[in-house]
Amino acid sequence: MKKFVPLLALATISATGLAPLSPVDAAEPQPRSGGTLTWGVTTEPSCFDPHRSSQQAAFFVARNYIDSLVGKRADGTFAPWLAKEWTISPDGKVYTFTLREDVVFHDGEVFDAAVVKANFDFVKNPANAANAVALLEYFSAAEVISPHVVRLTLSKPDSTFLESVSNVKLGLISPKSLAKGDLCGGGPSLAGTGPFVFERYVRGQSASFVRNERYAWPPGYAAHQGPAHLDGFSFRFLPEYAVRTGALTSGQVDVIEGVQATDVSLFADDPQYRLLIGPSGASTSFTLNINYTRAPADDIRVRRALRDGFDPEPIVRQVYLSHVKRAWSIIGPANPAYNKALVGAWGNDIAGANRLLDEAGWTQRDAQGFRTREGRRLTLDVGYPQPYVRDNREILIQGIQAALRKNIGLDLNLRIVTAGEYAKGNATGTWSIYPNTDNPADPARELWDMLGSRGFLYTKVPNPDPEITGLIDQALQATDPVAKRALTDRIQVLGVEKAFIVPLFAPSWFLAAKTAVRGLGFEAGLDSPSNAYDVWLAKE
Amino acid sequence: MTASARIAPPSGLLHEPGAPARAGHDPAGVALNRHRAYPLPALGSALFLAALFAVAAAPGLFTAHDPLVGDVLEGLKAPDWAHPFGTDRLGRDVLARTLYGARYSLLIGLGGMTVSVLAGVFLGILAGQRNRFLDEVTSRLFDVLSSFPGVLLAMLVVTFLGQGMLNIALAVGIAGIPKFGRIVRAQTQLVRDADYVTQAAIYGLGRRQIFLRHVLPNVLVAVPVIATVYIGSTILTVSGLSFLGLGPQPPIPEWGVMLAESRDVLRVAWWPAVFPGAAITLTVIAFSTVGVFLQKRFEGRIA
Amino acid sequence: MGSRALWSRVAARLGTSVIVAWASVTAAFLALHALPGRIEDILAGDIDTPGLREAIAAEWGLDQSLLAQYWAFLSRIAGGDLGTSYVLRQPVREIVGSQLWPTVQLALTAGVLAVALAVAVALLTAGRGRLSRKVASAIELVLASTPVFWIGILLLMLFSFTLRWFPVSGANGWQSLVLPAIALALPTAGLLAQVLREAIEKALDQPFVTTIRARGVGELTIRTRHLLRHASLPAVTLGGWLIGGLLGGAVITEKVFGRPGLGSVTLGAVLTHDVPVVLAVVLLAAFIHVAASTLLDILYLLIDPRLRAA
Repeated sequence: MKKFVPLLALATISATGLAPLSPVDAAEPQPRSGGTLTWGVTTEPSCFDPHRSSQQAAFFVARNYIDSLVGKRADGTFAPWLAKEWTISPDGKVYTFTLREDVVFHDGEVFDAAVVKANFDFVKNPANAANAVALLEYFSAAEVISPHVVRLTLSKPDSTFLESVSNVKLGLISPKSLAKGDLCGGGPSLAGTGPFVFERYVRGQSASFVRNERYAWPPGYAAHQGPAHLDGFSFRFLPEYAVRTGALTSGQVDVIEGVQATDVSLFADDPQYRLLIGPSGASTSFTLNINYTRAPADDIRVRRALRDGFDPEPIVRQVYLSHVKRAWSIIGPANPAYNKALVGAWGNDIAGANRLLDEAGWTQRDAQGFRTREGRRLTLDVGYPQPYVRDNREILIQGIQAALRKNIGLDLNLRIVTAGEYAKGNATGTWSIYPNTDNPADPARELWDMLGSRGFLYTKVPNPDPEITGLIDQALQATDPVAKRALTDRIQVLGVEKAFIVPLFAPSWFLAAKTAVRGLGFEAGLDSPSNAYDVWLAKE
Repeated sequence: MTASARIAPPSGLLHEPGAPARAGHDPAGVALNRHRAYPLPALGSALFLAALFAVAAAPGLFTAHDPLVGDVLEGLKAPDWAHPFGTDRLGRDVLARTLYGARYSLLIGLGGMTVSVLAGVFLGILAGQRNRFLDEVTSRLFDVLSSFPGVLLAMLVVTFLGQGMLNIALAVGIAGIPKFGRIVRAQTQLVRDADYVTQAAIYGLGRRQIFLRHVLPNVLVAVPVIATVYIGSTILTVSGLSFLGLGPQPPIPEWGVMLAESRDVLRVAWWPAVFPGAAITLTVIAFSTVGVFLQKRFEGRIA
Repeated sequence: MGSRALWSRVAARLGTSVIVAWASVTAAFLALHALPGRIEDILAGDIDTPGLREAIAAEWGLDQSLLAQYWAFLSRIAGGDLGTSYVLRQPVREIVGSQLWPTVQLALTAGVLAVALAVAVALLTAGRGRLSRKVASAIELVLASTPVFWIGILLLMLFSFTLRWFPVSGANGWQSLVLPAIALALPTAGLLAQVLREAIEKALDQPFVTTIRARGVGELTIRTRHLLRHASLPAVTLGGWLIGGLLGGAVITEKVFGRPGLGSVTLGAVLTHDVPVVLAVVLLAAFIHVAASTLLDILYLLIDPRLRAA
């Protein structure tokens, strides 16, 4: 029994505006309450505090105990959550949120406008070194208008602000917890308003949660009202692929995240399990970001040769066994802002790539068959930070490396570097090629992150391309959706055309679960599995 | 007096076999008197090593496949005539990778051993002089180095230096310094106090001459044998580093790297894992068998 | 050596151990600060807000001179405070403390198992038929020459995934300890058995064995009572290496089996330049080393009365 959920089908359901919690479960019987379950997950978050963390793995965990002012639907619109309603001033600089009045934190603290202000002020204050501060670049002040009305003022219009407010990084934490500080260790002292209370964190092993019995404020797109179905659940941290797979097949856990390609058929073909493949809706594709200011990649012909000198299709298929699609644009294919015009528009032109390199003067060959110019080998360094190597991506890059060597004599030199080396390259703008996927955010902000003049890659790079950075700045401030769409479309084309970026594949989430586990799904705003609020256990 | 057990302990040896206080209870030494060295396994091992060095010197002679570039459409093919060891997930020939891998594993193993031996001999001789201060300082240095489990020390050094081949050799080499250092120190003290050296001094030989002519040769005679055994443990340590993701950079087909890459696909393909694993085990066995054989042969002369 | 000599030796060792510990952490401190990449850049990650790096530097005292940081670090350590992790933002004592037991538990179990296996095999095969001896030593040689993680992966495949006898991972209950402990114990047992057997065989040649035999004492008694004691001395010589090897091997074994422990904490800390955590691990390693050597010194005297008399 095949349980594949084609990406296309998910996208279709999303477009109706309904919450696609899990299309697989559409015709399921009524959910029942009770029971506990265990999730095997790949990554143990180094910090559970959503304001401070920078790990995708942490946000997906945090969503269980942290709520936001607004929630993001799968179609990209926003639903009420802790804010009942909101207004945006015509100049796009003043956001006024009217809050629910029945919300309490896990530690008994009352949720009100002052708490919202405290949270935003906390993140904005550089002394707190909160990672979420990146989302508040234009935020200038929060004001308590009445106990349940709060006004956030920006210094410049920011078309991505509502998206940022919906982000779990700007989720609301109890004032008592904020005052306590250092919440990275999780546990009950990290109190949010979410459907589960953080019960216990055992380093290296697990994090466990119990139901928040008072919960009555789910986001507008939730499948049910009231408290969560499960009595509680826990995450088990199982970093090895084989161990996770084995843990599920031997019944030690109920759900796993991060099923590798070679194990997909094991679960897809067995009626005891169901396999869910998550949409890569909001994240960027996995891309090679080329520092276009550094020789030899400052020559557009070299970058284009790298872009066209191999066929990503078979390499992606070999590593991910056709469960993952190759990418055409920086923005992920299930994202509403994805520019479909790029499909088939570039890549795999080996003759052309060789011609470009000949033109650029890389005409000699050395003993190992690599191209040289004036005695120097055509080498492009890929610095992949060790802590981020996952998901067989270094294998994929090795496949590209081999193809480029064979096809065009280019030496793509993959180096697994330490966090320190990466930080140094980044701080001095001397990085060469950086492979990554950006966290989900507004498309304009994702483009800004990776290609903008103040984004994390180009901040310290002298003289980034004025055309693309200019367009990105415009997109960030464009409040008209049509104008914004035109801009993000153009930026996507430009990124590939100038070969600043080589999109490789669209990462997806692979979940496998026992069939008794129902209500599993994916959350658009997180671009990850959704929290356990709607999950329930069927009688076996 | 000879030293070391079958497989040289990776490092962190507190009471090095051969340390003077325990000279009489040296495990390997104890056993050697009774059993004659069997030449046959040693001969086989030596042949294996000779073949290995030949492969490492010119792997291209033994395989037509490229170890780095494969046909991705031919990924994870089980062993057959075209690929006797099968292919890995990127379609690279596992036989070719294993053969080329010999070069890297041997290079790092020998490199690491060289670092241990050079630094160990130098510091050991220094410590063995009649200078309490020098002895104290070097001995404490050995203590510091051996207070870390070998893998941990190598891990720290690799992060400090980066993941180059040379750095990895240096990392595992540093972990082995106290091993050789302590043996050489003990040996130096022994020779230093031996009658013939004292007599040489009485006959008016200069200190330098005594050192070069009498002390050094006698100190060094034990080293090559122990070093041979030790290469095996160096290769094991490197494979452990590779497994932790701190080994040589991909796509270098070092055996440990190959093993680390193969574990994800183990459920569906055994061949990318079994062949490099067997290569490690056989090589380590060969080095220690030859080393131990040499120990037994030269036992009398060394002591 | 009398008991007074023993104690003075233990005292001397403790004295030098303080120096060893100090030298270890100082070297690690200097090395960590000499690494490429400023710590505030690493901690800031991908964000570049005005004032952020300064705030981070001030929070962790990175804006002070290296000497001042070193002094602050030493006085903290002297006061028993291991500081706070840069990356995990929790007290290092808590982090290391919570991970110490799983690692020690694994290393201890594997150690006991290795010794038991080695003793059994050595007693059974020493001085016996050539074939059984040869087979045993061949197996031992293979085990001692195989990477510990490789043995772990094979055990996992067989007993956990295929036969489902043992859980795959975690540190819950004794079942989850079985496979990792075996994986870690086998290479060590292989080596130890070789050493023990050869030592027993050496002892078999000694005249006292003939004397005991002449008195009609059974072979089993001779082996377990008399020979083992003789043979254990060279084995104890290996004790220090054993402890170091088991702890180092535990780091790798933990990764194979997805067990919590010092391994993952150390690896993570090393990779992210989490200076306080790395220094705590270094300090811990030095401490274990000292404790183990002292213990072994005492063990020697208990085993070998000759040393006591000397």
